[in-house]
Amino acid sequence: MKKKVLATLMAGLLAVTMLAGCGGAASSAEEAPAEEKTEETAEESFVSEAVGDDTIKIWVPDAVVDFTKEQAEKFLADSEYSNFKVVVEAVGEGDAAGNMVTDVTAGADIFNFAQDQIARLVSAGALEEVAPDNAEKVKSENDAGAVGAATVGGTLYAYPITSDNGYFLYYDKSVVTDPTSLEQILADCEAAGKNFYFELNSGWYQTAFFFATGAELTYETDDAGNFTTCNASYASPEGLVALKKMVEVGASKAFQNGSSIDQATDVAAIVDGVWDSEPAQAKFGDNYACAKLPSFKGADGKDYQMSGFGGFKLLGVKPQTDENKLAACDALAAYLSSEEVQLARFDLVGWGPSNLNAQQSDAVKANPALAALAEQLAYTIPQGNYPGDYWTLATGLGDDIRTGKLTPSSSDDDLMAALQKFQDTCISYAK
Amino acid sequence: MTKSKNPLAKTGAALAGGDWKTRLSCLILGFGQLLRGQFVKGIAYLATEIAFIWYMVSFGGKYLSKFSTLGTVATEKKNRITVYGDNSFLILLFSILTIILIAFFIVLWYLNLQDNYKQQEILKAGGTLPTNKKVLASLLDENFDKTLLALPLTGIFIFTVLPILFMICIAFTNYDKTHQPPTNLFTWVGFENFRNLFSFGSTGIGRTFFSVLGWTLVWAFFATFIDYFLGLLVALLINKKGIKLKKLWRTILVITIAVPQFVSLLYIYKMFANDGLVNAYLMKWGVIANPIQFWVDPMLARITIIVVNIWIGIPYMMLIATGLLMNIPDSLYESAKIDGASPFQMFKSITLPYILFVTGPFLLTQFIGNLNNFNVIYLLTKGQPLSLGMAENAGKTDLLVTWLYKMTVTDTNYKMAAVIGIMVFAVTAITSLIAYNALPSVKDEGGFQ
Amino acid sequence: MNKEDKNKNKLSGSNTGSYILLVLISIIWLFPFFGLVMTAFRSYDPKVEYGGMVNYLIPKHFSMDNFRFLFSGQSNFLLWYRNTLIIAIFVAIGNTIMILCVSYALSRMRFKGRELLMRFWLVLGMFPGFLTMICLYFLLKQFGLTQAGAVPGLILISVASSGMGYYVCKGYFDTIPMALDEAAMIDGATRARVFFILTIPMAKPIVIYTALVAFMAPWCDFVFASYVAFGNDKSYNVAVGLQRWVWTNDYQGYFTRFCAGGLLVAIPVTLLFIFLQKYYVEGVTGGAVKG
Repeated sequence: MKKKVLATLMAGLLAVTMLAGCGGAASSAEEAPAEEKTEETAEESFVSEAVGDDTIKIWVPDAVVDFTKEQAEKFLADSEYSNFKVVVEAVGEGDAAGNMVTDVTAGADIFNFAQDQIARLVSAGALEEVAPDNAEKVKSENDAGAVGAATVGGTLYAYPITSDNGYFLYYDKSVVTDPTSLEQILADCEAAGKNFYFELNSGWYQTAFFFATGAELTYETDDAGNFTTCNASYASPEGLVALKKMVEVGASKAFQNGSSIDQATDVAAIVDGVWDSEPAQAKFGDNYACAKLPSFKGADGKDYQMSGFGGFKLLGVKPQTDENKLAACDALAAYLSSEEVQLARFDLVGWGPSNLNAQQSDAVKANPALAALAEQLAYTIPQGNYPGDYWTLATGLGDDIRTGKLTPSSSDDDLMAALQKFQDTCISYAK
Repeated sequence: MTKSKNPLAKTGAALAGGDWKTRLSCLILGFGQLLRGQFVKGIAYLATEIAFIWYMVSFGGKYLSKFSTLGTVATEKKNRITVYGDNSFLILLFSILTIILIAFFIVLWYLNLQDNYKQQEILKAGGTLPTNKKVLASLLDENFDKTLLALPLTGIFIFTVLPILFMICIAFTNYDKTHQPPTNLFTWVGFENFRNLFSFGSTGIGRTFFSVLGWTLVWAFFATFIDYFLGLLVALLINKKGIKLKKLWRTILVITIAVPQFVSLLYIYKMFANDGLVNAYLMKWGVIANPIQFWVDPMLARITIIVVNIWIGIPYMMLIATGLLMNIPDSLYESAKIDGASPFQMFKSITLPYILFVTGPFLLTQFIGNLNNFNVIYLLTKGQPLSLGMAENAGKTDLLVTWLYKMTVTDTNYKMAAVIGIMVFAVTAITSLIAYNALPSVKDEGGFQ
Repeated sequence: MNKEDKNKNKLSGSNTGSYILLVLISIIWLFPFFGLVMTAFRSYDPKVEYGGMVNYLIPKHFSMDNFRFLFSGQSNFLLWYRNTLIIAIFVAIGNTIMILCVSYALSRMRFKGRELLMRFWLVLGMFPGFLTMICLYFLLKQFGLTQAGAVPGLILISVASSGMGYYVCKGYFDTIPMALDEAAMIDGATRARVFFILTIPMAKPIVIYTALVAFMAPWCDFVFASYVAFGNDKSYNVAVGLQRWVWTNDYQGYFTRFCAGGLLVAIPVTLLFIFLQKYYVEGVTGGAVKG
């Protein structure tokens, strides 16, 4: 009702006042407000299918919209919450967090997001804690990395659904002779005139180099999702080795910046994730192969196995003002992240489960992409919380390599200065 | 009785000289008109007053009362249920709306009083008031402007003026990602955001701001003038005497306008990417050994953008110039020909001055349009490449507007976005002022009447 | 005689050069368009050809797969297309009415505050549009015109503020002689009658121009449209829907379908443009001259 009052008033009042306002002697202005009113009401009758309080809105990527709707409806029908309806919309993990932060009230009740957004969501008040009754179960059934990723300041805020948000190597068997050596991959690609794709200007992929040599960058958050401490050791001999290698890779003729096989041309090897396994198979055909990330020879003569982030996808529940709905959302989110649904989802779209039992299933173990990821997992660190600014800062560092501000001929001092600046800025994000 | 122009003095005169009907109209708007038989006006005034009071009591008042603090009641948790407190955003928005409405009401009150006083004077002098029917009919005749402007003005006030006032206020608050309604409150912080903009220390964004501003101006200058002259040349080429299939050439160019930019520019972006068509073919043909870093190298990215913009801009300019060339009086050329002028001389001394004179205002609007040319930059590079040297995620090819956009959408840093928005306004206003004083044809609004 | 011959030779000689130049320009300008068409006819079916980015221009097999996909209802493309068409039509009508009203009032009538109003609007126009996006979003939300109601919401926003774009139209009205109006009014016509019977018919080119410009804008609006409609697939416009296919990771191998969709968007606009080019030139020229 408030809406209508406002609409009519604003329209009517302004029309009248302004009519009088711009003319000298005020004459009557009955017509204008009348016109306005009819227009506004006409406009309002356009609006249908408003989401009511008995509707649970869910945001998931397009590929699992139908699946999620089916599962959710099946669950609700058999539960004590059968009075709730489900609306499922296709909103990707990338957009979901941004949209939730822009307007929590218009956002979904349950939404799918990648764990790097969790701190931002918590501090914007867009995530409800996992119901205490569910928390223990979630913690015991999912892998430790996933649970860690869903936790902010000691509180569990989301339900893990996949542990596959990491990266590994896809390659063309006919070109790459030895997928365990970065130098060999580059040499093979250069010789064949093909490209090696690595997203050098992404904070997510860069860590494959930095964490490999032992450089560190982690943040700690308080309960409200604010960053309190930053542990960084990029400006160190280890960091320097990593950066030198990155610069060297960036200068290779075969190097292309990117991590989406769909957008890649002439590709012989790419560091990418399981979500691209289908296009990768389409692209490489019979020569399709996957492996853990290679190792590289550092400037100090040592061999380093490339590391990186292990990532997770989570299901979040929005803060609710209605007790019943909150209970329904909790139950639904718990179900959608259960072993059974994770396995069904894997069968449909190949998302690698975070549930420990599901990870042990034969079908999951037989998937080559997930096998490579699982092998790589031993060398990665679970991705914690990073401030949004970190990602753009890292893009800046990567772009400085791509644009030739940092080159193989740069002096150690220059490289160290860049690392120092990077590290100082990273630390400044934690207040 | 002396006639004063001062509204205050006029109000005083009306109150002093008014009869009881006029004076009572101060409290009950339209009262005097109703008593004098002016029902149309009277009812309109009265209805407005009632609506206004209703609005203030039921809606506006409670927001306005929190305007100074922007809300104090924080969001709470009761068990696991969220109880939302004050919403700073809505408080600020509706406070501003209420203030606007109050201002309008005061104007209306004043007009009402004057109208009453005028009617009283007319009646005292023995005249008659226009009939209700006449008052209504005047809306289609001598007061037709009010009828015409009512709807557009209402729309502009609600959907342009109100939001702009709101965002100007935001520049003086701490509305950002850590103060996000409805969960968190935001409040007034004075000039702090502006201080941040102009601070050049390691945390301030002053250096980045001026670097982005510099590129914005450079871009607008090149984008405007290169397109302008090249478009003119293409138009001259097509309109040259003896060239056949004029319509075909024009249509070919115009197709580029018709294809939506979000499609064509994306395609061009991919075309020039390191692994895109251009580099692939150049390498296949052996022209280059390594891909040209069209979008990666900051300088090259800027140049590429300007070049791609030529592709977009020339068709428009060509169309405009075509129209203009047709409008140049033939007699000018005739006399020049008799004087034995060469085609180049004619272009130099007739065509160019004519076009430059008439397109002065157009150049200004183009320049301002390019200062704010979001599509070209955003669809091509999204402002990239970024650099460690730039604050607040600004990229090397970011214009102020694309930077503003990123702050709003990606970083939800509304307070700084608002500050940048005000700066864009300042830059535009200054440019316009300079041009206004320098170009004769801009000033000449009534020259054609 | 002699001199004239020389001139003629020079003319025809330089015309050959002009033609070469024109052909060259045409190739450059049509190239992306050509590439777009080629991509649109490349299949996305992995069995036939790869649907992502490739570094060759001519597809190995021509196929209608992309168009079949767009029309098959596997995506909401047709709905997005319909939304955009609805928005475009309403905006074209609404904006034109608003602009005509404002232009006539400012061009023909002299009222108190006229200059002030024009100056005020000029100043308003100097604020960047994106600045107010968040505010407009919440304003529309108060009316219930976001997400599910985004289509009427977008129409409302566009029409409501369109009055400020009166420059071109007013400039045109200014060139219609006042004497015509005056003559009609001496014959007893009211202002309103003059406006409807005299001015609007005479301003046909500018009416068409205004409507055409207004009609074209919604096809390209992805920034504000996505901001208003987020999380509601059914109320996206075609630009927002298609953008998602290339910018988000959830869609792989959609590039050819994106190009095909883009082509379908280009068709109505291109046709309108070709047929109404004359009016467009007249309008845009008028605007350029008058500012």
